[in-house]
Amino acid sequence: MAAVSDFIAIVGERNTITEGSELRTYEADGLPGFRVRPAVVVLPETTEQVAACVRLARALGMPIVPRGSGTGLSGGALPVEGCVVIGLSRMKAILEVDLPNRRMRVQPGVINLNISRHLAAAGYYYAPDPSSQSVCSIGGNVAENSGGAHCLKYGFTVNHAVGATIVTAEGDIVSVGAHGGEPDTLGYDLMGVFVGSEGLLGIVTEVLVRILRTPQATRTIFATFPTTDEAGAAVSSIISAGIVPAAIEMMDQLAIEAIVAATRVDWPLDVGAALLMDVDGVAAEVEHTADAAIAALRAAGAIEIRSPRDDGERALMWKGRKGAFAAMGRISPNYYVQDGVIPRKEIVAVLRDIARLASEAGLRVANVFHAGDGNLHPLILYDGRIPGQEALAERVGGEILKTCIRYGGSITGEHGVGFDKAAYMGDLFTEDDLATMQLVRCAFDRDVIFNPNKVFPTPRLCGDRPGIYHPHAAELAEVAGRG
Amino acid sequence: MTIAGVEPRNVATPADVGELAAAVRDLYADGKPFAFVGGGTELELGNAPRTLDTVVVTTACNRVIDYAPEDQTITVEAGMTVAAVCAVLAEHHQFLAFDVPDPDRTTIGGAIATNAYGRRRLRFGPIKDNIVGIAIVRPDGVVAHGGGKVVKNVAGFDIPKLMVGALGTLGAVVSATLRVHPRSEHGAAVALRNLTAAGVLRVCADIVEAALVPTSIVAFDDGGERYDCVVAFDGFRGGVDEQVRSMTGIAERLRCDASQPSPAELELLEARERSARCEAPWRVHLGAAPTKLAEFLARNDMAGIGRIYYPAIGSAILTANALSAATIERWRSDLDAGTVVVNAMPLAARGAIDAWGAPPPSWPIMRQLKANFDPKGLCNPGRFVGGI
Ligand SMILES: Cc1cc2nc3c(=O)[nH]c(=O)nc-3n(C[C@H](O)[C@H](O)[C@H](O)COP(=O)(O)OP(=O)(O)OC[C@H]3O[C@@H](n4cnc5c(N)ncnc54)[C@H](O)[C@@H]3O)c2cc1C
Repeated sequence: MAAVSDFIAIVGERNTITEGSELRTYEADGLPGFRVRPAVVVLPETTEQVAACVRLARALGMPIVPRGSGTGLSGGALPVEGCVVIGLSRMKAILEVDLPNRRMRVQPGVINLNISRHLAAAGYYYAPDPSSQSVCSIGGNVAENSGGAHCLKYGFTVNHAVGATIVTAEGDIVSVGAHGGEPDTLGYDLMGVFVGSEGLLGIVTEVLVRILRTPQATRTIFATFPTTDEAGAAVSSIISAGIVPAAIEMMDQLAIEAIVAATRVDWPLDVGAALLMDVDGVAAEVEHTADAAIAALRAAGAIEIRSPRDDGERALMWKGRKGAFAAMGRISPNYYVQDGVIPRKEIVAVLRDIARLASEAGLRVANVFHAGDGNLHPLILYDGRIPGQEALAERVGGEILKTCIRYGGSITGEHGVGFDKAAYMGDLFTEDDLATMQLVRCAFDRDVIFNPNKVFPTPRLCGDRPGIYHPHAAELAEVAGRG
Repeated sequence: MTIAGVEPRNVATPADVGELAAAVRDLYADGKPFAFVGGGTELELGNAPRTLDTVVVTTACNRVIDYAPEDQTITVEAGMTVAAVCAVLAEHHQFLAFDVPDPDRTTIGGAIATNAYGRRRLRFGPIKDNIVGIAIVRPDGVVAHGGGKVVKNVAGFDIPKLMVGALGTLGAVVSATLRVHPRSEHGAAVALRNLTAAGVLRVCADIVEAALVPTSIVAFDDGGERYDCVVAFDGFRGGVDEQVRSMTGIAERLRCDASQPSPAELELLEARERSARCEAPWRVHLGAAPTKLAEFLARNDMAGIGRIYYPAIGSAILTANALSAATIERWRSDLDAGTVVVNAMPLAARGAIDAWGAPPPSWPIMRQLKANFDPKGLCNPGRFVGGI
């Protein structure tokens, strides 16, 4: 009880959650199938409150799980037994817009899309555009190094989030990276390593992001193909020809079917695959690049190539693509999102392997993904009511990851390792590689207080210091007892 | 060979990465301080190492490990020179956007360790945006990897980023997977002359406003207070021509003299840039938000100081034959939220000037990081920020 009242003393009663359906919200994130009840959830409103909560949790020996909007797909915000979840969703102020230097300072709870919305009238935008951009937070994006369709040309969160204020494991408030918009900072690139650290190195309470001028022109191209073979070959030939579209997204037949069912797009259902592509930049350059891309699509065997009639149709097409995961609900009771990366020249071969794995398991797999980056998102469809199917789906997911590794790729392109894929890290990295990453972790958090069971296959402590990975049982009983 | 004025007792040139790791392991076990050297083009950068037994030269580790032109990536050993990598890439009409002043000598590892950059950073980003995977030999001789071979990857902490600009204080970069870019079909430049620092910034603002996409913007001092500013474009011919036309329009509106410089003039300017980056006795790199840097340059007396100014990046290289510690101090206190790094200075000045300036607020984390990687403090000790 003491612990809860101490948290209340910091953030107030209305920002402390200990029970009921509200607490249930925080038991899971976007990774299906796992729920863990946190001891307490706090929703601080200021950086100082975050720092005070971290110091209190440390004093109580409670692990800390940072959380943004909870849309993460790898279980990064999944609570740890007896933890305090520090949710940043109430820190959603836009603090500063500096158009002359093309920088913007925001709190971590700001929703990704709201940055671009805020800038639209001035003719600027924030480039990284995860499909979840209308709900995910910029703090979560920083923690995951989130990508999106247009990251092909413009880069990922790490290329755009240049500085941050963080609360460290000691409860100190520290600025990392650029704080005044300078191009480089002195010393090690702590911001570079913080981005994508999945809540293990500290809590972001302010972010400085680069913003971009809206391009002169954008052309959207939609093309259909008999099978994913031709579509995959088209992507490879566009990339290897040195054509740089802003985005190239691929959808296979199942994905198209789901998207058509969920939205009003009039895409044909009798094709094997489709590509949705944006080309942007200086107007004359866009015309040229779009023509070159269309020629490549034709040469690869496109059935139909079309462009949206107007901005409304263009928005609808992208809405269809970005809503693809949710659309799976139309064609399957359950689905499991996988995220892997392969060299772009291998798309055709890997999609075939995935189809084979699926048919061997007797499951359907839909593919809708960032093809230009080789970042696959196989959606493994299953029916959770049929005993054994969920486990089977997970097994197929695991086989797909191993396939990605075999082709020289990675186990995650943007969704993170989190809780879900920690076990695969050993397939991608050696013991020494992982130990080196631990050296980094321990420089930020020697007691492994942040997100202790994520990313690394075996939780471990730093050096021989007594850690607080195991919460003090008495304290936990006290806090948890209230729920 | 000296590093920031300090001469090592030994120079080791391991024949391959295995030998390099073994050499480092032995030095570490024997408690002997060491540092890494690539092409030796930036040995003046940083503070003098506190002590130095052996310099480990990486240049014999110079193989191409894997080149995937269709994927626009190449994996090379760190001792390869930038020019050698570019020669390989040229066969597939690709290039590496590492702007180093001396590509025939600068190695990939050295470019990464010093976070080298130049004019094209505007378009292609800094080195850290162009590196997707890395292998290092840690100070204790252990070989470790980070990142991977694919262009998109968020598995594990971003060790490649950590090695960029770390000046070899966390170990040696022994190989790296780099993003490469397709060569463009056509290039052209427009020079705008006789501009103030504020005028240069105004040009940049108008370029952004018009949504042009230049490859680089470089302003050169004209011998006095003013600047000549060269804006370069690359791409397909139609797009380049259109942007050159827009640029001319911008110059007309600002009532400034503009023309397309001749190849000879461009070569002359590039030579000036190269010399400013590797020859002047004093070389000071400034970094700040673009508006703050422009204000700084306008506010301070720059008589007798050479300026290569990348206005849109927010960076400038100041060169001089003579400077005082007091001047460096004044610049440091005057440049709001920026960095003033002395990349080169005469030996005699070293005692009075810290090459980096005051460490940033996150320095305690950096110190801990260094302590974790190099508990004995043997790897390039004292050369980096805040005495790391
Ligand atoms: C339908 C759907 C589509 C998606 N599409 C994409 C996509 O295209 N690209 C992509 O990259 N991702 C995508 N995602 C995944 C997800 O949206 C991103 O990972 C997003 O960045 C998570 O943000 P969040 O605010 O929800 O973070 P959360 O899920 O709350 O947290 C994610 C991780 O970040 C940590 N964290 C959160 N906030 C902070 C903070 N302030 N400080 C420190 N650590 C913090 C958490 O501990 C956790 O480890 C998608 C998800 C869904 C559900």
